[in-house]
Parts: sequence; structure tokens; C-alpha cells
Amino acid sequence: MQSSTKRMGVMTDVHRRFLQLLMTHGVLEEWDVKRLQRHCYKVHDRHATVDKLEDFINNINSVLESLYIEIKRGVTEDDGRPIYALVNLATTSVSKMATDFAENELDLFRKALELIIDSETGFASSTNILNLVDQLKGKKMRKKEAEQVLQKFVQNKWLIEKEGEFTLHGRAILEMEQYIRETYPDAVKICNICHSLLIQGQSCETCGIRMHLPCVAKYFQSNAEPRCPHCNDYWPHEIPEVFDPEKERESGISKSNKKSLRSRQH
Amino acid sequence: MSEQSKDLSDRNFAAEAPSSEVHSSPGVPEGVPPSETLAEPQSPPLGPTAAPQAAQPPQVPSDEGDPKALQQAAEEGRAHQAPSAAQPGPAPPAPAQLVQKAHELMWYVLVKDQKKMIIWFPDMVKDVIGSYKKWCRSILRRTSLILARVFGLHLRLTSLHTMEFALVKALEPEELDRVALSNRMPMTGLLLMILSLIYVKGRGARESAVWNVLRILGLRPWKKHSTFGDVRKLITEEFVQQNYLKYQRVPYVEPPEYEFFWGSRASREITKLQIMEFLARVFKKDPQAWPSRYREALEEARALREANPTAHCPRSSVSED
Repeated sequence: MQSSTKRMGVMTDVHRRFLQLLMTHGVLEEWDVKRLQRHCYKVHDRHATVDKLEDFINNINSVLESLYIEIKRGVTEDDGRPIYALVNLATTSVSKMATDFAENELDLFRKALELIIDSETGFASSTNILNLVDQLKGKKMRKKEAEQVLQKFVQNKWLIEKEGEFTLHGRAILEMEQYIRETYPDAVKICNICHSLLIQGQSCETCGIRMHLPCVAKYFQSNAEPRCPHCNDYWPHEIPEVFDPEKERESGISKSNKKSLRSRQH
Repeated sequence: MSEQSKDLSDRNFAAEAPSSEVHSSPGVPEGVPPSETLAEPQSPPLGPTAAPQAAQPPQVPSDEGDPKALQQAAEEGRAHQAPSAAQPGPAPPAPAQLVQKAHELMWYVLVKDQKKMIIWFPDMVKDVIGSYKKWCRSILRRTSLILARVFGLHLRLTSLHTMEFALVKALEPEELDRVALSNRMPMTGLLLMILSLIYVKGRGARESAVWNVLRILGLRPWKKHSTFGDVRKLITEEFVQQNYLKYQRVPYVEPPEYEFFWGSRASREITKLQIMEFLARVFKKDPQAWPSRYREALEEARALREANPTAHCPRSSVSED
């Protein structure tokens, strides 16, 4: 595909700096992204009006389109925080991470990914992952090593760990959704509301449909009698609160202190 | 060979700086002399100052090079192009495939930089370019172009000897990004400037010396800066509070003078090698220009590596002949 015929959006130093910094940080929450945007304007174009974030990002994405990369917006599965990351759309395999990890490490990730997708809760226990260490491609890896590799995944924001169990980080879902849906078409779960990939969520005990926690929050907002959208049975789980960035900032609750709803609500 | 890709290889040779020596050092993949800079030809370096590179004005991207590049090509007078056309080598790939490789390489470089890993040329060939090794220069050049136009970053060969690249910001003001997010190290460029001054001196840096250096960046103690605000307050109070710097009165000196030292947090978070890399970038010199400091930095790097054998260490720039 020749890129020369595509009309490029207007790319100024404001956008370039934004891209640089977004790339540096990997994945950012929406509020940080807005600050970043304001900062870039301040450095390069102080007197211009700051574009609405959505338009700003769409403009950049029109330029990135021919490069097969995109600024993607997602929502964390456990507490509905909007996040942004610059993702590569072209490579559709775990080798996205290949710059960082050795062959056996990538395979460990693949194994963990499969366990997570197959699980009921979206979490795979450390024990179950480590038990697969003998089946890894590449250099032989001991369990102790594998534990450290798993920690590396957590540090690099591919996995999240909660009480000895692992699930996918929002960033991994953003980058790999397409790959996961193509590779595991039968095993993947989909949210009944937003139709995106679902790793953690709540499910109806009668008909089995699933919903992301933030989707549940929005769908049942101020509904005294929540009922399954599919079979109309009473929805048996606690309805989480809709994520409100304003409220969060005011109360100054740090992310680590915030009690996020556990996903074990299937 | 299509006309277009023929043009590309013309400009490739043009893009090389005249000083690139094609010595057949071991390890250099055949047929690929890395050039000093692979971005579009820039104005000559401005000497030992931190003056930013001339920023490339945003342009509609095209495959045509600068008139300057063509001029350089003419001056170069290299005859490489003729032999490669005559040789019955493998069929050149379609331009679209080269474009795709350039995109892959772009992402590869961005991710490496994001992870603060060394961008090593042989890795680039092994991991991305692969069988397109012969067209490596063309791919590299396109990647540099994209990085410059879209991200405002220069892909620069930082060391011909170790074949390492770095992504350098090409936007003005260079190195002065206020990290807009509070969880990161503040005012990286400004802080590094001061820390490296102290490091090179080997002892505390008097406040007057620090201001001499900051003046290069256009910072004065009495002037408010658009990004930093009150610079003096920043370096004497905020950085000190955060333990990046120590600000102490010089003993027995009248009228009172103050000097800066590394703070405990700087010692923890910043390596000497990072300082050397910073200096090399800013002054466009080899880190060996500060030989004893460089040696110290290498020692520290080695000690760190030995202390953390299981940590995933990026390849350091240590090169032993």
C-alpha cells in the first residue's frame, strides 16, 4: 500500500511531542493524557486553543494510519478507568513483545495467556502457570526463573497480579485484542454490552452472558432492580459504581488504595 | 528494478555524511556502512553547545530527497550504484515491502527506546530487517524520515564503533521536556545538565558555574521560563527537596557562595553511564572525551551488572577492543 496518495492530517510539533511522550510512558490514564496534551500546547503553541482530546487524537491517528499504528483508547476492566496507548496494529502475534523477551519467555506468556482466556474468572494462578514450564519452547526454564519472568511481565504492564493470580493488563488487551480473538475464537469471551473482548467481568447465572464491570456499572446505573439484558432474570451481583474522574481526583484516593471490585463474580 | 527504488538508493548514498569511513570492522554486515546520521542532512553541528538541532518543518511526506542531498550525492561521486545494478543478485523487493519493513523497524526502535534498551544495529538486522539486509540503508533511511516527521525524533548513530543508535528528540527546546506527569523524574534535561556538570568537575559545582551552563539553554536566575517557571527556585529548592541535588554553602567564603552536589536520589536513580551518554549527546562528542569519567562510568555499570545478574540488562555501550 503506497502511503504517498493518502492525505496526511496536520502534524505539528504539538502532536509530535505528544506522541513522543505517550510512547515514552507506554500506557496512560485519561487524565494524564489530558495533562500531557496541555503540556505540549504550552511548549509549542501557547496561545492556541487546546483541541478537544478526541479530535486531537483522531487527527494524529489519521497520520498514523498509513504506519499501521494507532492511539487506542480502552477502559480498565476492573474499575473502568479510561486508558490510552500507542499500539501497533500490524503485527498480529505475541511477537509484539519480541523486542523484550526471549523465546522461552514469550512462550511462557503465551501459556499464561491461554490459561487466562480459558479460565472462568479471567485469572490464572501462579501455580498453574509455573506447572507448564516444562512445555516451553526454547531454552529450558526453571520455575524460579519463570516467577521472575512473570514479574517482568507485570512490570512491563502486560500482566496484572492479584493475590498470586495473573490476568491481562489493560494495555495488553488494547494491543492484543485482535490477535486474541483471531487465535482463540472459541475460547474468548465477549461482553454482551460493548461486544469487546472480555477477560474479567460478571456473568448471568441463568443464561451465561457476560459483561465487563464498567459496562455493568453503566448499564445498571441507578437501576434499583437490575435484570439480565438477555434473559431478564434478576442480576445477582453487586453493581459497581461508574468511574468518575472528578470524584476520584477530589478525594485524592491513590490507585493502590482504591478497593477495586474483585472479578470473582461469575 | 523500478525507477522509484533506484531513486531511493541514490538518496541513500547521498544521506551519508562524507566522513563515514567504510572500514571492514568485524561484525559490520557486508555492504552496509552505517552513516553518521541517517536523517535528512542537517546544518553542521554547532560545536560544544547544547543548541538544539534545526527542527524540520512539517512537510507533506514524499519520496523525493532534498536538493542538498542530491548535491551531496554528486559530490560524493560514489560508484556503488552501478555495480549493484549490474550484479545478478536476488530480485529487489517491491517498494511496498520495503515500506512495510521500514514501519516494522520504526516500531522496533520506538519500543526499544521506550524500554530504555540499547538500539543495536546487528539486532535491528537480526530481528527486523532479516533477508532484506541488502536494502538496509533504504529501510533505515525511510524509518528515519518517518520518525522525524511524525514523532520529531532523530535516529542517530551514536557510536560507529559499537554500532549503537539512539532516538534523540529533534524538537525545540531540545532536552527540556518538563515531564508533565508527576510520577517521573522531574525536568530530566535540566537536572541532567546540572548533574553532569558536577560529575565532570569531580566535586561540587559552584552556583555561578551552574548558571554559566544554564545560560546556554537560555535560562537565567532572574527570568521566568515558559516551561520551568522560576528556575532558581526549581533547582535550589524543589530538586533539593526531592533529593536530586544538594545545595550547600561553601565554607569560609565571603561573600557567601553556594555549590551543588548530587543528591541521594540522583545517586540511586541515575547511572554514571547515563550521564556520559547525555554529555555525548549534548556536546556531540564521544564519551571518551572525558576519559577518567567514562572509565568510572564503565566501572559502575559493571558493578551494577554483577550485582544484578538476573535482571534483564540492556546491552551497555561498553566496548572492549
